[in-house]
Amino acid sequence: MSTIVRVENLHKSFGGIVVADDVNLSFETGEIVGLIGPNGAGKTSLFNLISGVIPPDAGSITLGDHRVDQLPMHHRARIGLARTWQNTRMFHSMSVIDNLLIATRRYPGESLARILFRRRALDAFRQEATEKAVALLERVGLADKMHEMAIELSYGQQKRIGLARALMSDAACLLLDEPMAGVEGQAYETIIRVIREEAQAGRAVCVVEHNISFIRDISDRTVFMFNGCVLASGSVDELTRDSQLTDLYFGGEHPQ
Amino acid sequence: MEYILTVMVLIGINVILATSFNLILGYGGLMSVAHPIFYAIGAYCSGLLAIHLQIPVPLSILIGAGIAMVLSFGVSLPSLRVSGDYLVIASIGFQLGILHVINNLDFTGAAGGLTNIPVLNEGPSRSLVFVLLIAVVAACAVFLVGWIVEGDYGRAITAMRNDEEAFSALGRNAMNIKIVLFAIGSGMAGLAGALYAHYFAYVTPEQFGIFTSAALLTMVVVGGAATTWGPLVGAVLLTTLPQAITFLGLPVSIMAPLQGVIYTTLVIFFLFARPQGLTGGSRGGGGLEAWSASAAFRARRDAE
Repeated sequence: MSTIVRVENLHKSFGGIVVADDVNLSFETGEIVGLIGPNGAGKTSLFNLISGVIPPDAGSITLGDHRVDQLPMHHRARIGLARTWQNTRMFHSMSVIDNLLIATRRYPGESLARILFRRRALDAFRQEATEKAVALLERVGLADKMHEMAIELSYGQQKRIGLARALMSDAACLLLDEPMAGVEGQAYETIIRVIREEAQAGRAVCVVEHNISFIRDISDRTVFMFNGCVLASGSVDELTRDSQLTDLYFGGEHPQ
Repeated sequence: MEYILTVMVLIGINVILATSFNLILGYGGLMSVAHPIFYAIGAYCSGLLAIHLQIPVPLSILIGAGIAMVLSFGVSLPSLRVSGDYLVIASIGFQLGILHVINNLDFTGAAGGLTNIPVLNEGPSRSLVFVLLIAVVAACAVFLVGWIVEGDYGRAITAMRNDEEAFSALGRNAMNIKIVLFAIGSGMAGLAGALYAHYFAYVTPEQFGIFTSAALLTMVVVGGAATTWGPLVGAVLLTTLPQAITFLGLPVSIMAPLQGVIYTTLVIFFLFARPQGLTGGSRGGGGLEAWSASAAFRARRDAE
């Protein structure tokens, strides 16, 4: 195992609200880390810090060999970071397949010059990306929705599209923000299977989720956050045996 | 006859302006209202170069468009930091600032305007030739924008407009796209301005103010934002409509404000009754719906 993401002494506050208080964490290849904690603990903020939505006040974030904490979001994604969002954030005036086609690591269609002068290479690239997108949609069980508008699908389906979209770039690190919210039945099994397969393929996966049984099912290691701090780390059972943590989770006081 | 040809020239100019504005505002979702200032920059730069440096008119037109393209950084750079309402304000500042400079410099003719600009072509059928030229340029503008917004690049533009943050998180560079859209759109506006200047031989600063921003916005919204043909329909309609009103024989004191009333009424009507504009489809694409949906979507998301 080698470390994919290393977060050291990370600090971030908005005015008086501290969302990351000296956070130290690392995600290893092939590992699934569950990130739990009550609302407002700083879980999504941590994702935002790692992916570059918000800049940290202090501390460092490394991705592979790259120090990324000062890089813009799209650089980090190109180095090998992919994430999903709590509220799916589909491109709503685009079809499902287009939502995926825009998400490749490299997107030559971003340059007008290349569209003008490298037509053939671009066609080949699009072909390859389309095949990959279709395969991913099949994996999440939504290949038949390919040409529908993403926004017209159910919330649970959008969650699966979001997961497939994040997988388009073959990123070394996957940050999944509540992938199970609104997902039921068969789709639940599908998502668990896909996440496991991705970890087996050598990716580092971090999952934020309120569904504790899901975290128990899937994670190799669970991290408990509260008020921007990482309070504990271990298996779900170890964490839930700690009455102080369960109190905090269900609305207790900050430990002194 | 001459009158009709002149109206056709104006239609052509407005088609170029509305089409290029649509690229920035409709497709790009970049809320800049400063489009007329690039129209002004093209007109003034080309006019001044032809007057003072005796540069051949066709060349000065191209240089004027090029300068507008380069100066588009004045709006595209702020757009990297601010968006939405804040970009509207930043762009108004840019527009009024430059307009103020033009208004107060002697060599631009100040408030009185720039006169005696050499015309592009002369001769008995001058207007007819110019109409044909402008029709070709306008057609090229429509097709250029149509080409930019389709396929792989169009997908990137749409995704950026829908959700810039999610777009960036996928590794896409929103900055490049904004700069390119502003440069191409503003260059086209500069070209329109230069053509205008070398046809009418006279421009004044007041042609390029907020009223023109409102007129262009109306053309885009009424025709259908983020559609290929919408701005063309809007430009034809909103150039001929005010001309038609002049035949009513109303006194000038009523005529002038009436235009503003018509534009405003149309925008409000279309915003509520037909946000996709005259040409927009019913779903998933064109029209103001493309933004209003984005705005509603973002508001809902942020509320969650």
